[in-house]
Amino acid sequence: MANRSRSNLAWLGTIALAVVLAGCGGSPPPVVEPEPEPEPQAQPRDDSAEREAEARRLREEEERRRREAERNRVMSVLAERVHFDFDRSDIRPDAEPVLQRKVTVLREYPGITLRVEGHCDERGSNEYNLALGQRRAEAVRRYLVSYGVDAARFATISYGEERPLVEASNENAWGQNRRAEFNVTNQGRLGGGL
Amino acid sequence: MRAIETHNRFTWQSRKRVLVARIGRWTSALAYAVALLAPGELAAQERDSIPTDVRVGILYQPAFRPGIVMPNVSAPEGLQELADSIRAIILRDLDYSDRVQVMPVGGGIPAEGPVNYDLWDELGAVWLLLGVLEGPADAPTLRLSLHDVVFRLLQDVEAFELPPLRHRDFRMAVHTGADRVIRWSTSSDGMAATRIAYVEKAPGGSEIYIVDSDGFGMRRVTSDSSIALSPTWSPSGERIAYMSYRDDDPAIFELEVNPGRARKLVDLPGLDLTPAYSPDGTRLAFGSTVEGRTEIFTFDLSKRCCPERTTYVRFANSLSPTFSPDGRRVAFNSDRLGQLHIFVQELGSNSAELLTPYIYDRSVHNAGPDWSPTGDRIAFHGWVAGVPQVFTVAPDGRGLRQLTQDGRNEDPSWAPDGRHIVFASTRDGQNGLWILDVVTGRIRRLVRGAASRLPDWSSRIDSASRFKEDSATGPKP
Repeated sequence: MANRSRSNLAWLGTIALAVVLAGCGGSPPPVVEPEPEPEPQAQPRDDSAEREAEARRLREEEERRRREAERNRVMSVLAERVHFDFDRSDIRPDAEPVLQRKVTVLREYPGITLRVEGHCDERGSNEYNLALGQRRAEAVRRYLVSYGVDAARFATISYGEERPLVEASNENAWGQNRRAEFNVTNQGRLGGGL
Repeated sequence: MRAIETHNRFTWQSRKRVLVARIGRWTSALAYAVALLAPGELAAQERDSIPTDVRVGILYQPAFRPGIVMPNVSAPEGLQELADSIRAIILRDLDYSDRVQVMPVGGGIPAEGPVNYDLWDELGAVWLLLGVLEGPADAPTLRLSLHDVVFRLLQDVEAFELPPLRHRDFRMAVHTGADRVIRWSTSSDGMAATRIAYVEKAPGGSEIYIVDSDGFGMRRVTSDSSIALSPTWSPSGERIAYMSYRDDDPAIFELEVNPGRARKLVDLPGLDLTPAYSPDGTRLAFGSTVEGRTEIFTFDLSKRCCPERTTYVRFANSLSPTFSPDGRRVAFNSDRLGQLHIFVQELGSNSAELLTPYIYDRSVHNAGPDWSPTGDRIAFHGWVAGVPQVFTVAPDGRGLRQLTQDGRNEDPSWAPDGRHIVFASTRDGQNGLWILDVVTGRIRRLVRGAASRLPDWSSRIDSASRFKEDSATGPKP
């Protein structure tokens, strides 16, 4: 008797599951409300709590991943360097889309503050390059501010030719070293807190 | 010919009387060359008849260097080793002064007895330097006497109290003696008792180092573990102002060389860079950020306050100031004309005069000016086909001269004698700091090292007085 009723219940369970799966159209939602099954009736409350915890964990994981992805996106947009022509500090046409992406992100996240670092290639005088790097950082700041980003959100610093990206003496290295870098000094709500 | 005349002003006086005394005996080539260079006596046909073996060009000026001999320094038992090292230091200093020709001394010269002028005259020496060292070992005295071999008389004599051999000021005290000998023999000041500060690569970026003018006593004097740049000596040679990123925000610091303490001197918003002391030590000129560009300020060192702006040019940088010897003018670097040039400006006025020639060429890049302590020239580096070379020019923009042509040659700084220049160079693939004598064109390497740069030559360092202060307050290791 006990055997038969158990096998009946098993049947019922199978049908129920099939119905649920069919209702989902092949794509199970991450949260499946457990059908009250006869078999686990012995400890029904414990199991659902476990599943709920699991579901919450998954939700949190998902949320974390989403935020991580968003954070990576924002950071990579902000970290993207812009480059300059020799002995110039004006914003090149190819730098504008890079800075525009930053404007978008900075508007989206008003809590983020940046330190703009100006760098130079090795060719000019060491001391003049400090001044030139400062003008590059300032040119970038001015550009971003002109699109409505609060000037107080930027600090500028020049490293002249003291921190080259590429340690070499050729056109390619010089081109890469003439740059502005962006250091996030405050991550705003990306930094965990809101 | 202007260059040659300038040179003559330096050496003619000291040379003339020797010439008078010895001209009969000289080989004709040298005498002829020297006689030709007498100021104001150059007739056109004489100029054309310069002997072909004397090269007259931008880099070379014939200069007569009278011979000097220095026999072994006599010393009591136990001090001979000290005496030998003193002699070695002095001989090297005399050689590096480029004003005298150090001649070898043969053996068998009696140290005692009256000076045998005939013997030295036979050797061709003009000067005889005798040294006597007297004990005790922990406070020796060096007596130097300089004899004029041509006129057979004692030119001058002085006793120098020296610190003990291992004292940190020992070498500097001996250098002071060598400078005195140069003074006696040429009526011009030497530059042996000086140091050079410079920038060297280090973990975290760069640190400031110092080295004696003869290449000895090299040591690191900052430990910021950051980027340190643009060292400059205070007129007394006791302090170095420099720029450092050690607090993240670049500021100007002042370092007490002994015992080596640094404190923040100037920190305006933005970048503070390229400090320079006024010759009287009362003011500091430097560059600082104004609306993203760099302008020049002065700062009152006695009150330690009151930055005062001296340049007002929108959309351009002004930096790297250097004072004239009278402290009334500064030469500095600016890109206000769209090219990098050297300008001279009266302090308190707002009009700067262009010093370097304006050429319609993108590659003009003149930088790193340094006003000679004798006032007559300003050294800087400028690009020749994209490679920096050292130049000098008079403060009125006349007489531009290129002094170097091998490799990159950057950031010149004058010695207090106004004729030697230290600069960073890559000549012959032998990177480092090099010293050039502008008059003779002689060149020597001071510091080996691919990353040694931004040298600054100190004034004469009065080690003797400081050594005495030390002894008054008790001995120091």
